[in-house]
Amino acid sequence: MLDSIVSFVDGSALNQWIVAAYWVWPILEIIHFFGLSLLFGALLVIDLRLAGHFRRFDPVVTHSLVPIVLTGFTLNLVTGILFFFGDPLTYANNAAFLLKMILIAFAGLNALLYYWKLSPQLHTWSADTESPALAKVVAYTSLLLWTAVLLCGRLIPYVGEYLGSGN
Amino acid sequence: MFIWLEGTPIAQWVSLSLYAYPMLLSVHIIGLAIVVGIFMMRDMRLMGFFKSLDPVAFLALSKFAWVGFIFNAISGVMLFTSQALTFAQNPAFLIKIACIIVGMVLAGLIQSRLRSELDSGAELMISRATRIVALFSLLTWTGAIIAGRLVAYIL
Repeated sequence: MLDSIVSFVDGSALNQWIVAAYWVWPILEIIHFFGLSLLFGALLVIDLRLAGHFRRFDPVVTHSLVPIVLTGFTLNLVTGILFFFGDPLTYANNAAFLLKMILIAFAGLNALLYYWKLSPQLHTWSADTESPALAKVVAYTSLLLWTAVLLCGRLIPYVGEYLGSGN
Repeated sequence: MFIWLEGTPIAQWVSLSLYAYPMLLSVHIIGLAIVVGIFMMRDMRLMGFFKSLDPVAFLALSKFAWVGFIFNAISGVMLFTSQALTFAQNPAFLIKIACIIVGMVLAGLIQSRLRSELDSGAELMISRATRIVALFSLLTWTGAIIAGRLVAYIL
């Protein structure tokens, strides 16, 4: 499946444009760094509250930060796809990139658990409510997975094969 | 001085070891996400978004940001030593450092304002001045990210 994606992307008009325009890559990187700050910053608040810290925050209120997480994620999904379009062979053959994608998929499943099982009961929590075990597991799993995603992303240029012109 | 710095054992380790540079960059990106993530959210709250969040809780959260900042100061200095002369002459790098210094000063200012507004005991009102400081803070962190990324492109 990855091979057919690469052959579709490689040589496409978008691919050629990103490769040719020298300023596109740094702009995408800047947006990607913004997105990760939004995503990680908001998740940190949501997850720490979910795990039972910072009880001054009402968990319903921290839940209202989810749109920031989704905004960050969307920015990074779009810029990430454009990175892939800019250098498909490098990414498709890069162990850190592939691991990063798998970790994001797991983080997505973990987020669904939060959405279905935990967010509906948040309004019943007070500052004295002990976080249930599931909430702690979901919260720490989320922080762990996204930290690993950051690490894998940053290490993409340093691991795996080089077939393209990545930097 | 920068040449001397490049000759120190730490600088040698960072530039010669296969793992040092990527390892330090990894620490640096996590610190960045924590510092900029928390400060940007605090600034947005003070500017009037997400009104239901209790702004005073950011006093506690800012401790995380400070921890992230210390991690990034250490990893940043170590990364810097490896190519001190190059970085010191890179305008993007200098702008980045200026933005961070201003951002941290504003963070201290915001923290003391929040604390005094908290001590006053009255219903928390975010003054116009605090909003403006928050806006400037948001801009400096934006500038720091832009300049920081451009360090790799401007030589």
